[in-house]
Amino acid sequence: MNINDVIKLLLESSVSTVQLFILTLIFAVPLGFLVAKGRMSKYKIVSVPVDIYMLIMRGTPLMLQLLVVFYLPSIGFGMKGFDRIPAAVVAFSINYAAYFGEIFRGGIESIPVGQYEAGKVLGFSKTQTFFKLIFPQVIKRVIPASANETITLVKDTALAYVIAVPELFSQAKKLNSTHSSLTPLLIAGIFYFIMNWVVAKAFSVTEKKLSYYR
Amino acid sequence: MKKIILVLLSTVLMLSTVVGCKQANSIATIAPGATTSVYVDVSLQKVLDSKKFILGLDDSFPPLGFRNDKNEVVGFDIDLAKEVCKRLGVELVIQSIDWAAKDLELKSGKIDCIWNGMTITDERKEAMNLTKAYMNNRQVLIVRKGDPITKKEDLAGKKIALQTESSAEDALTAAVDFKASLKEVVTFENNANALLDLEAKNVEAVLLDETVARYYIETNKKDFVVLDESLASEEYGIGFRKDDKLLADKVWKTLEEMAADGKVSTISTTWFGKDITTIK
Repeated sequence: MNINDVIKLLLESSVSTVQLFILTLIFAVPLGFLVAKGRMSKYKIVSVPVDIYMLIMRGTPLMLQLLVVFYLPSIGFGMKGFDRIPAAVVAFSINYAAYFGEIFRGGIESIPVGQYEAGKVLGFSKTQTFFKLIFPQVIKRVIPASANETITLVKDTALAYVIAVPELFSQAKKLNSTHSSLTPLLIAGIFYFIMNWVVAKAFSVTEKKLSYYR
Repeated sequence: MKKIILVLLSTVLMLSTVVGCKQANSIATIAPGATTSVYVDVSLQKVLDSKKFILGLDDSFPPLGFRNDKNEVVGFDIDLAKEVCKRLGVELVIQSIDWAAKDLELKSGKIDCIWNGMTITDERKEAMNLTKAYMNNRQVLIVRKGDPITKKEDLAGKKIALQTESSAEDALTAAVDFKASLKEVVTFENNANALLDLEAKNVEAVLLDETVARYYIETNKKDFVVLDESLASEEYGIGFRKDDKLLADKVWKTLEEMAADGKVSTISTTWFGKDITTIK
């Protein structure tokens, strides 16, 4: 297998990695938003379970969560369970939602009370206040931390190898052992770098566009 | 209030995606109204009905299961399995798995068997339904053809090579007298390089798995010879779920039929140059 075949194989696995990454973000970000709201709720019946959920998600290894989501439905409950890629997306989403939840909560709680009061004065409803006044400001505050999480997610997709989901890093490792060469790993490293560079750039462009008061 | 409903709704939605159809592999009730369930082994029927037999393997284990240059999964175990499936009238589905997760994959029903040069051990016999040995694997010595070496005593005062951290290295450590008689033991990262050293006449023999040795000779057409005696031996078996007795028995019976009509011998010769299976 020459270098072109190696690159072709690695590119194909990168596509799987990107798919995993995008699907996870689509679910984890809205869910993280709900988690943040739940955590801030004044009803203990909501905030306590959400708190426990966050403790478990952030306190146990992501690899363990992958194994549980994929195998437990079948082994523990005799259900059919998820296929490999859906299981990975579910596990990543509920894990990252916990992290995003805390980030968003930090952003929301950092908005001074004066903004809410201004909303009341302007006659906005609670929903209007949130989406027109609070939310735009929250976005600006959570961008750096969210960028961190997203970049971590790109690299965490490699953990999906444990439930045999095809992705870039495990493919590179296999090529490495088949050909006794470090080159596939180096190429994979370059691919990850490019993906993360795109992510970081996207976030920094968004941040610039949103800093309309500076 | 609205927000609570929103959070509750989304939690319920998430949970409902977890519930799939119940997988009734082996339990069936006798009759409506009966209070006991009877164990019915539907493992074979399930495979025949779905027309799919899922084989789990670590696809980096030549020559039993590995990827070729076109990135297809091939190997001796794969060829055997393909023939078995042909005779059962089902499709062989090859599922690459993480070897460390093989028990989970099997127990959860994601694969139907582990067929990958898996050594039979007492622990594995407890954990799964292992077939009888379909092949013996021995740690053997491979030498250049024409060299005056026919037994391990002939290697006294000579150099041999092996793969670092392999079962070959374990076997050599256990063979204390033999190891002491050697001049030097050279270790390599993989068997391919050890065999290159043999070809270059830097060492007189390589200690490695018989399966890998015979495969190497057969595919690369090298003038090497495998010595008859071995240092350690292990047996390969196929792993099924503990409850899947009918399926395991059927697969083994099919292998026996294949051995009787010579098909197993043909496949073995293609990969190893001769029939080294133990299916009777």
